[in-house]
Formats: sequence, structure tokens, C-alpha cells
Amino acid sequence: MIKPRLFLRVSGLGWFLVAAVAEAQVPVLEISGANFRPMPLAVAAPQAQDPKAKVKAAEFDATLLFDLSASGIFQVLDRKSFLADRNEGVTASSINFARWANVGADGLVKTELSSEGDLLRADLHFFTVGTGKEQFKLTHSTPERDVRKLAHILADGVYRGLTREPGPFQSHLAYVRKTAQGKEVYVSDWDGKNGQVMNSGGPNVLNVLPALLPDGSGVAFTTYRTGKPMIFVQRFGSPAAPLVKSDHMATGIAFSPDGKRIAYSLASAESTQIWVAQADGSGPKQLTDTPYFINTSPSWAPDGKRIAFVSNQGGSPQIYVMNTDGSGVRRLTFQGNYNQTPDWSPRGDLIAFTARDERRAFDLFTVNVDTGKITRLTQDQGDNEEPAFSPNGRLIIFSSGRTGTSRLFVMSSDGSNQLPLPMESGTYSTPDWGR
Amino acid sequence: MATAEAQIHPAVQRSLLVGYRLPLRRFLIGSVIGHVALFGAISAATYFQLGPRIDLNQQPIKASLVRLGKPPDPKLLPRIQPQQEAQKPPEPEPRKPEQPKAVAPTPEPKAVSIGPTPKKPPEQSPADRRKQLLTALNRTSRSTGSKTAQQIEEMEGQLDGDPNGDSATQEGERYYGLLKAQVQRNYDVSQTIPEQERLHLKARVIVLIGRTGEVLKVQLASSSGNTLFDGSVLAAVKKASPFAPPPDHLRDALQRRGIALEFRP
Repeated sequence: MIKPRLFLRVSGLGWFLVAAVAEAQVPVLEISGANFRPMPLAVAAPQAQDPKAKVKAAEFDATLLFDLSASGIFQVLDRKSFLADRNEGVTASSINFARWANVGADGLVKTELSSEGDLLRADLHFFTVGTGKEQFKLTHSTPERDVRKLAHILADGVYRGLTREPGPFQSHLAYVRKTAQGKEVYVSDWDGKNGQVMNSGGPNVLNVLPALLPDGSGVAFTTYRTGKPMIFVQRFGSPAAPLVKSDHMATGIAFSPDGKRIAYSLASAESTQIWVAQADGSGPKQLTDTPYFINTSPSWAPDGKRIAFVSNQGGSPQIYVMNTDGSGVRRLTFQGNYNQTPDWSPRGDLIAFTARDERRAFDLFTVNVDTGKITRLTQDQGDNEEPAFSPNGRLIIFSSGRTGTSRLFVMSSDGSNQLPLPMESGTYSTPDWGR
Repeated sequence: MATAEAQIHPAVQRSLLVGYRLPLRRFLIGSVIGHVALFGAISAATYFQLGPRIDLNQQPIKASLVRLGKPPDPKLLPRIQPQQEAQKPPEPEPRKPEQPKAVAPTPEPKAVSIGPTPKKPPEQSPADRRKQLLTALNRTSRSTGSKTAQQIEEMEGQLDGDPNGDSATQEGERYYGLLKAQVQRNYDVSQTIPEQERLHLKARVIVLIGRTGEVLKVQLASSSGNTLFDGSVLAAVKKASPFAPPPDHLRDALQRRGIALEFRP
């Protein structure tokens, strides 16, 4: 009786050992260095549940589609290639995932629109095609007129649902539009839609270089309404008022990320210097002191401890950084001989800027703040200028003359996926992207 | 005799074979001492100043001459080089057609050559068959030397091969290297995976590879916890299939136990 038991035990142990040895004998190859690519995403046309929702469906669809296309993390697939039944349901059990896999989709977005009184309700389902499972579901309602906002909210939800980072699609954009009267400052949704003109100050007036207030309550800009350039601030619903009081010419305002301080440049007859002050313009303090040279275009680091700016103290306009007390001035760019309009990424690592290259074309570049490494973002596409990082630092809006007139484009911060903003035709420049 | 002595050439008289006193002796002694000292000094110098050791197991170092272009002006701004896109596409193209070729033709000719043989056996007795087999065996054993030599000549060498031939383990290493490179080329991961999460992702996959290099089975041995990453890893292996036929000594192991691929971003 004992012997067989013992035999079984021994043999069991033996098998375990054999299995362990076999497992150990399987050679292991370590593979790393993945190619991170945008996820091929199919966005099915929204399904309107009632006539009211049907009216709003097209605008909702276009807004959501552009947000996801511009996000940089998706490669939104062309609907013409879709094989699935148009009336396919929005639940995992009713979806034929093989058909979505056949068109190359890894992700699938399905939305339902319905009206609840004066509210428009959207239900968004995100599916992983490979597993055939619903990864998450988002539901939101807004007043009917805010259908674009509803789409932006859902796009941000999708962005956050996957990357766990805030999306940039509910943020705002300030820009300058050339009109018959002069140049006007506008504030709009991030995609340039719902543009609202700010106080013009009369005909033939130039209002340029807008900077959104960090709390989203308005915009500050440089205006030539009195002849010489001055910095004004305008909050929504209030008239524009001077912000920087100086006898010198004040241009190019930038708000610190916490909104408590401002930086700008003051030009006298012989030089231009950078100043900082409290957000209301009080307590001005001069930071740079280089007689006969021009220091301009300040941009704050996300921690508010340093400022990037342009200076020609080395002979040509180059990007410099300094501490906010004016100490520790350091030249950052040594390539190119005409570098300007720096914008410090909210992620802190990069500064985007415009440079004129040896072919005399204006293009966009980034410089790594720590290493000084310069990376080109645009090339051979007309003149590209004035980069502005998204609040999450993943996207850049810039002006480009590639289509003949200056228009606004968006791209990923590595220069990929360049798309024109869906704005009506016009001449646009100097974007500023804020909350 | 006296005349004969008188006729000896003066050169013969100076020959070293003829015993006479040499005035050069001290120079010779000096020369010997000098050579010994020099030899001693050289051997002492080489003993104390050892040069780089020669590693006999060192793999051959491949060097290739590259034409240097004009170095970019460090003051100019960088330009985007379109080469990366141009280089990528040709890589997968030639490889994929190769493998089916290697797989497909081999069974076909065999099928043709075997084809007529099954027709004969029913007509022949078992004894005849044995005879035939024996003669065939003799023929092959006689001609093995010449045939293998022919085969070796016919086989195309690898461009990066060792002229003295690779050992079995080296061949295996090479195969694993190819396999790894092929999977890596197809290792596309979704950009939607959060950056913080990318640091911790690790998935292990067991792949069983058939005789012709086709993937028999892909199985997730340990999940990364992220379904997207797991999916990308499985897709990378499937997209990379088929691989080159495994070398003889790995064939059974790859078919039965397979190989583990450990993926990290």
C-alpha cells in the first residue's frame, strides 16, 4: 500500500520537475523598442434617435471627427472604406467586429444622439476591435445650441479615457484676423470655431499679439489705437482697458502660468528690454539690461521660474532663457540666424520657435531646454510661423501660408499630422492657445 | 708542390675554412654580445609592456567603407531627411516573397519524383524492393563525397557568413536574431497607451514555429495587464509570420516547446 503511494508522490514531483526544466529550456528573446503609432480608429456616423437630434447630428459629427483626427493619437479611418451595416447597433453584442477589423480599425467609436427637452444628449461607446469589448462609455448633455461643446466634451473624454491625460478640446484660442478695418483680436473654441471679436477700438486699428488670460476670463493684446503700441486687457462683457502704463512702446504680453504676473517688452529709441509686473500691471521691474539691443517675445516656463525670450545681443535674433529675476541669462539656440517667437511647452521640456532657414523660408522648430537639441517640425510647406502649444503640450497651433493666405493649422508637437483648422476663409495669424 | 702552393688563389687563402688568424674576431664577439643584448632588451620590453590580448573566441569584426558626405554646417538649422521613409518599405518586400519560395518549391519537386515510384511497387516483389533499396543505398554511399561537395558548392553563402562555416549554436543565434528583427519590424504599439504606463508594461508570448517557418501557435504566457498592449504584441508576431525555416537542430524544439518572446515598449 505504501509503495504505490510513494511512487505516485515521487512520480508527481518528477513530472513537476520535468515541466519546470522544460519551461526553463524555452529560449527567451527580449524585444523592446516599439514603434508607437496612432491608433487606427473608426468613428461611425452618429445615430440620431429623434428628428431634433438629427438636425444637430452633422455638426456634432464634424466637430467630434476633427477633434479625434487632430488629437495625434488616432489615425481616423475614412468612412468610405467601412464595411459594416449602417444600422448596426451600439452594443458589443450587436457589432460585427470582424468587419471593423477588416478595414484596419483597432478602435471603434459609436455615438447615439437624442434630445431631452431643450437638452441634447450624447452616448459614446468606445470599443477595442481586437477583443470585441466595450472599453468605456461616456454620456453627456448640453443645451442644443452648444452641440459643438458637447462634441468637444466627448472628445476630451475619449482622450482621457485612453491616455489618462486631459484632452485639449474644451480649451480656447485667441488669434488675429485681418479685416477690412484693420487687424482684430478674436477668441474662439480651440478649433477656431465660434470666434468672437474683441473690442476693436475703432476703424483702421491694429490689434495684435493676443494672450489669453490664464483664468479664461478674457484676453490681453497689443493695440495701436493711440498711435504707439500699448498693452490692453479685455474681459468678456467689459470694455478694453490699458494694462501696462508706460511712456515707452509696450508690446508682446505673456501671462505667467499661475496668472499672477505678466511679462512684456518696452521699447525706447535705442533698445528694447523685457519687464515683469503683477497681473494688474503694478510693480513693474526691468529684467534685461542690454543697451542698444532688442529683447522681446517673452514666454513663461510652466513652473513660472524662467522666461524664454528673443535677443539680438549675440549679433542675430536667437532664443535665450533667464530666471524671472533677470539672472542666469543663457543662449539656447546656436543654429540659424533668425530665431524668434518662442513658446514654452506646458510640459516644460521644449520651446517651439520660428526660424528663417538658409533658404529664407520661415519654419517651425523645437529646442530642448536641457540639451539644446533643435528639431525641425515643418519643411517645404510655405512659411510657417508663430507656434502655440496646447494646454496639455501635445499639440501646436501655428500660422501657415502654404495655401496662399496665412491660415491656422494644428499638428502634433513632433510636427506630424498637420491639419488646417476648420475656419471660414480669411487671413489669420499669431495664435495663442490657452484654457 | 711549391708551384702548386704558389698557384692557390688569394681568396682561398682567406677562406674561413682554412685555419689562420682572424683580425675580425673581436668584432664578431662584440656583434654577438650586441645581438644578445638587443634580443634580451626586446624580449624584456615585450614582457613588461604586454600588447592587447588576442581573444581567440572573438567574433569577426565587420568593417565596411562608407563614403562620407559633406558634413552639415553646424550653424545651419536641421532639415528633415526623407530617407527614413525610403529605406523602410524595401525591407519587408524582398523578405516576404523569399519565404514562400523556399517553402513552396521543395515539396513540389519531391511530389513529382515520388509520383512515379508508388506506381512501381505493386508490380515488384518485396525482395526486388529490398534489392532496389540496397543498390540505391550503395549508390548514395559511393557518391556521398562528391555529392556533398556539389551541394556545398550549389548552396549560396550568406553575405555576412563566416568563411570557415558557422557552428550549430552560432546558426541558432543567427536564426534567433533574424526572428527578433522580423518581429521588431512589426512591433507597432498604439500611441494611446499612457506614458506612465509604458514604463511598466511587460508581456510574454510563447510562439510555436513549424518546419517551414510558419507560426503554428501564438499564446500569451503572461499578460501586461493592458489589453491594447497585449493585442499589439500578438499582432506583431502574427504580422511577422512566416519566419525563415528553422535550422535543423532547432526544428523540433521550436515546434514542440516553441520560443518565448518577452516584450517591453
